[in-house]
Amino acid sequence: MARTRREFVRDLGLSAAALPFVLNLPSLGFANQARRKQRIVFMFSPNGIVPKAFWPDEEGPKFTLKESLTPLEPFQSKTLILNGVCDRVRGDGDAHMRGMGCLLTGIELFPGNIQGGSDTPAGWARGHSVDQEIKGHLQKDAATKTRFGSLEFGVMVPDRADTWTRWVYAGANQPVAPVDDPYQMFNKLYGRAKDREALASVLDDLTDDLKKVGGAVSAADKRLLDEHAAFVRAMEKELQEAKASAGHPVPKLEPGVRRDNDEMPRISKAQVDLMVGAFAADFTRVASLQYTNSVGGARMRWVGVDEGHHALSHEPDTNAAAQEKLTKINKWFAEQLAYLAKRLAETPEPGGTGSLLDNTLIVWTNELGKGNSHTLDNIPFVLVGGGLDFKTGRSLKYNRVPHNRLLMSLAHGFGARVKTFGNPNFCGDGPLTGLT
Amino acid sequence: MRTPLLLTAGLVVLAASQARAADPDGQQIYKQMCSRCHGPAGEGTKKVPAPLVGDRSVPQLAALIDRTMPEDDPDKLDAAGSKAVAAYISEAFYSPAAQARLKPPRVELSRLTVNQFRQAVADVVAGFRPAAKPDDRRGLAADYSNGRNPGAKRLAGRVDPGVNFDFGTAAPAFDPEPKEKPDPAQFSVRWEGSVLAPDTGVYEFTVRTDHAARLWVNDAKKPLVDAWVKSGSDTEFRGSVFLLAGRAYPLRLEFSKAKQGVDDSKKNPNPPPKPAQVALMWKRPGRVVEVVAARHLSPAKAPEVCVVETPFPPDDRSLGWERGTAVSKEWDAAATDAALEAVGYVLARLPELAGVGQNDKDRATKLRDFCARFAERAFRRPLSADERRVFVDRVFDAVPDPDAAAKRVLLFALKSPRFLYPDAGTLPEPYAVAARLALVLWDAAPDAELLAAAAASKLGTRDEVVKQAERMLSDPRAKTKLREFLLTWLKLDHAPDLAKDAKRYPGFDPAVAADLRTSLELFLDDVVWADGSDFRKLLLSDETYLNGRLAKFYGADLPADAGFTKVKWEPGKRAGVVTHPYVLSALAYTDVSSPIHRGVFVARGLLGITIRPPTDAFTPLAADLHPKLTTRERVALQTKPHACAGCHAVMNPLGFALENFDAAGRFREKEGDKPVDVSGSYDTRAGETAKFAGGPELARFLAASPETSAAFVERLFHHYVKQPVMAYGVDRPDKLEKYLSENGHSVRKLVVEVAATAALPKPPK
Repeated sequence: MARTRREFVRDLGLSAAALPFVLNLPSLGFANQARRKQRIVFMFSPNGIVPKAFWPDEEGPKFTLKESLTPLEPFQSKTLILNGVCDRVRGDGDAHMRGMGCLLTGIELFPGNIQGGSDTPAGWARGHSVDQEIKGHLQKDAATKTRFGSLEFGVMVPDRADTWTRWVYAGANQPVAPVDDPYQMFNKLYGRAKDREALASVLDDLTDDLKKVGGAVSAADKRLLDEHAAFVRAMEKELQEAKASAGHPVPKLEPGVRRDNDEMPRISKAQVDLMVGAFAADFTRVASLQYTNSVGGARMRWVGVDEGHHALSHEPDTNAAAQEKLTKINKWFAEQLAYLAKRLAETPEPGGTGSLLDNTLIVWTNELGKGNSHTLDNIPFVLVGGGLDFKTGRSLKYNRVPHNRLLMSLAHGFGARVKTFGNPNFCGDGPLTGLT
Repeated sequence: MRTPLLLTAGLVVLAASQARAADPDGQQIYKQMCSRCHGPAGEGTKKVPAPLVGDRSVPQLAALIDRTMPEDDPDKLDAAGSKAVAAYISEAFYSPAAQARLKPPRVELSRLTVNQFRQAVADVVAGFRPAAKPDDRRGLAADYSNGRNPGAKRLAGRVDPGVNFDFGTAAPAFDPEPKEKPDPAQFSVRWEGSVLAPDTGVYEFTVRTDHAARLWVNDAKKPLVDAWVKSGSDTEFRGSVFLLAGRAYPLRLEFSKAKQGVDDSKKNPNPPPKPAQVALMWKRPGRVVEVVAARHLSPAKAPEVCVVETPFPPDDRSLGWERGTAVSKEWDAAATDAALEAVGYVLARLPELAGVGQNDKDRATKLRDFCARFAERAFRRPLSADERRVFVDRVFDAVPDPDAAAKRVLLFALKSPRFLYPDAGTLPEPYAVAARLALVLWDAAPDAELLAAAAASKLGTRDEVVKQAERMLSDPRAKTKLREFLLTWLKLDHAPDLAKDAKRYPGFDPAVAADLRTSLELFLDDVVWADGSDFRKLLLSDETYLNGRLAKFYGADLPADAGFTKVKWEPGKRAGVVTHPYVLSALAYTDVSSPIHRGVFVARGLLGITIRPPTDAFTPLAADLHPKLTTRERVALQTKPHACAGCHAVMNPLGFALENFDAAGRFREKEGDKPVDVSGSYDTRAGETAKFAGGPELARFLAASPETSAAFVERLFHHYVKQPVMAYGVDRPDKLEKYLSENGHSVRKLVVEVAATAALPKPPK
């Protein structure tokens, strides 16, 4: 169940007890420096990929990145490409729905009323997603607990809730909506700090005003206003003291970014910057970044593609122009991944060694293997970063392994030693081998 | 105020000197026999520290003195002497009026109470939205369509009294039949209008359906319940929202019946239709889950309301009414959080409230003007040019980012004493009158019409103020406040736990308890909003409201599924609030009635007399240990000791008169196999003993007693004005009581009179 606004407001409290939280003080974040801070990011792009422009030909440490993945060249040694991982979950819903709803949950959808094409209608997933599993595991322990536990970012996610627009689930029938407005995300992360600033700026005027109004009432009544003024001064003092011990700077957000197809690159950059800031401040260790939605139809005019993504993805392999455009689209997504990796690599691990990227694993994936066949085989899984100590700089090829086993590996990487994840029928051989 | 005071003092002297000639001199007696223990001015001494103050009438006091004083030898003072000394001390210092003369109560500077704060914030923001136009229609506007999306293939529209439909496998039925044939397999409905919140608090809405639905309450963008994706077998979907009493909130419910699961139209193009049902339910604060009744719904649209939810520490109620005469650190912190919450709400809705878009060229100018208007609303008056410069322009000039400047100005406006202390002398008089009127009648801020009247200097005379007050009474907030008062008068403002012994009272479940409260509220509303608004009818009416469930339990003749209907009680058995089963079952134990609780309620609550708490905590004698005694006899036995009898002699006989009613408020002639004794009595302030037997006789005594109306008037004044009534003149209680009796005992007229009294300028000090 989502939190009520009342609870949210209570958490926003500016009472004295809440001040350390208001200030994002390090009390929560840095008490746990002894242990390495592991992080994970799930990144989603839709409609499958163009296999020949995506999957490396080679297997093992020596491989060449194909056109779609060339933006990852600076991070090739930190990249792990997993071919042959398949979403084997079946049941109600069309392939796009199941691809999305089962991607991080590994479990079937409920029967429901959402229908794509002429496939059986379906509802939400029957279980929680692996990022929420990891979040739950980390939030259980005071040493790894963070303010948010997880943050769900989006970029141009349509303003409707259905099986195609949600991939994170807090539980069965509990999809979590991503925040695709960077300003809204900024408020979520830094609203308290901004409130405090505004408050501090009016307290002087308030003291003056109380004095002025106090002049208009009787001596007996003035006592009440004097008392009130004393509380205002006390709050001023508390805010000053708190400011003196404040932590990290609040990032600046570019103003005027509209929620519009053509603004996707700016939204994407803003969201990545906010995510890196949130990691640096240890607001969370789990994040997801969802570009559009399953069946997403972005028109990437900025890379010379005027058609909608989904419509293009239905074109047959013989349509060379479409293949080229789809490759451009996926290359742009790879650029976003590269930008995230770059920002993480540039940011030193606070209170630790190395960079944020050394302690973060990015998992880029997709609801389909290939758009025109709607196959759930060979789901793209491109992993970047050192968060889970996987042996990177490799291209691996598996033989139709269920993706549930990869989800288990990710949970195990955080110490959440689940026996199964999602539908147990696909977890028989345990976590995926060969990653480390 | 000064002149009548002097006159009264003169009369006292005159009366005293006349008395000296013929009768015993009370002052002399007091000096000789009393002051040694009680002090020269009744202030108390080391030996008898309690000061001689109280609310006994002169005859009651005289009787007490004659019986007990002087303590060493009561015979020293005869009846005439006792009367003289009672008259003297009552006039000199004992009575509330004397106390008010000696220590004049004053109108104390008050901040907004918690409720007033929330209401005022809602009003400030409402000033930037179209005004709500409540009307008398009830239910919701419904729009039926074929297909899964509401409005796509429209069939028909109508007003439904509420949403509680079991369509079965059929399509909705219409009269007359729509042109298009309703499709039983796929159809959709949109219900729209507003929901009227009777109480302040968290409302849990439930949509019960086996298909898809979503519900919006007070937020057109974010659904409170989103079950538009039908998924799995859940059929109940809940969402909670905090609402303020006395306001209408926009509500929209969409329902969609469509194909689900298993069937595949390729293989099976015409599957048999599935059943469909949908209900809109809620759990009001402190109530049970129930279908939202038509009386709480309106097909009229309403603008959204800015509801601040930040929790506050409760207000002081030590005098019996909420008041804002104290501040604390916790209150200041809560008021700050609440201001930030409100400012966040406003800033998130600038395009709607300020008419300013994110990329407007003149955004800074528009924001500046909006902030100035916001401050005017918050301060309840226009800003002077100088004030606008100080409160608004100075900030915008100093802060480069107009949004940051706006945040500062708005935050300041809601933190300023000009907002928080509406009567701190910062308002020009017509605006001060408007502010007081709005607080007294609504606990809210002035509306556009009041502000316009103030601007046109049309709040200067009593007639003008009365006219506004009469207009304001028709607002739902005024109705809410009057209902709140009546429940407070009956000590039922906080819903009591009505659990009853399931063996003795089978069928008395939480639903019956909740219905009883509704029944009482409907009754109270009915009496005070009827034409005469006659106070006495609250005590005398033989009518009540029952639904099927209550009728079954209390033995009235109504169909089992009947909604609340006005019915007459059986002749001679009940009258008004003292015999209402909600009151009676609240004033009872889980198994047996409690004459003591009922007596205390009548004495303290209705007659307004002071009864000290018992000297110790007592457990009532257990009924099964005294199987041969009736409840009345057990109570009499337990309260016989001298230490108890003083007070119980007053309250027991009042409560005994209600022994016709068991712990669930059902009428009875017998308790077990013994007939109940319902005779009771009361020694009035006039020095007479009233006798009555049974509820209706007690009610008739109460309705005729000036003590009941005096207590009612005083409570009403305090509830509405939140200041001591005698701060408006020592004789104010008497004047108001006279006003009530001379104006057909009209509660509504009394409220207007109280509002005018409190709103008009105070005489110069």
